[in-house]
Amino acid sequence: MEGIGKYTTSFGVSLAITSVVSALLVVVKELNENSVLTWMKNLTSHHWITHGLFMVIAFFAIGWGLARMNNGEGLKLKPERLICVIVSGVVIGGIIISGFYLVG
Amino acid sequence: MTEVILMAHVLFGMLCIVAGVWLFVDVLHASEANQARIRTVSMAVAVFMWLAYLVGGYWYLTYYYVDKAIILKGPWKFSHSFFMEMKEHVAIMLLLLATYLPIATAGNTAINKASRKVVLWVTGLIVLIGVAIDGAGAIIGIGVKVALLGSKG
Repeated sequence: MEGIGKYTTSFGVSLAITSVVSALLVVVKELNENSVLTWMKNLTSHHWITHGLFMVIAFFAIGWGLARMNNGEGLKLKPERLICVIVSGVVIGGIIISGFYLVG
Repeated sequence: MTEVILMAHVLFGMLCIVAGVWLFVDVLHASEANQARIRTVSMAVAVFMWLAYLVGGYWYLTYYYVDKAIILKGPWKFSHSFFMEMKEHVAIMLLLLATYLPIATAGNTAINKASRKVVLWVTGLIVLIGVAIDGAGAIIGIGVKVALLGSKG
């Protein structure tokens, strides 16, 4: 299988990382209403706005950072591995969020 | 006005899903002839998702507290405690997936099988998650309805 572009790889990995981090942030903020959730509310008036902003910024920052690795050639990953990383990140993120609200 | 905003949110969400299905089929039949259209439709998926997110977010932050109070007095409390809570956070992941799509379609999906596979997987995830949170939205709406029916009965 041919290779894929450095931005496709870097932002794909960033997508997976950000999805899991976003799900973990859900758990952390909901379990710490008086500290983390309140702090996030105070930043933008609503914790959900802060959450979304953090994740969009993290997606671009991590993707940009990974694209600059290896002297600007970007993160190297086989296409099959990239697909596995993206799908795993999104599925794990979804399970964490759904599981938390299902049990909580 | 609140209904118009809510319907606009649903409309943009549905357009995102429809454009996603269109993109999936187009990428399955990728050729040099449809490369420009693939990039345009992938951008449309991202734009529709951002519009659905921003309009839905505005409605959620401004008007949802009324529906939430009604739901929590009715028999379908889970439509808020599970479906709305899950939807509002899974939507952020969907937003990132849709934002990533134009980056993934920058490669030539006609000659690059690897690039094509990545786009197909990402588009498939967008469509499946989109349908799931669209269904969650419907359950939230029914949560309000059964609460109001209960209060009249």
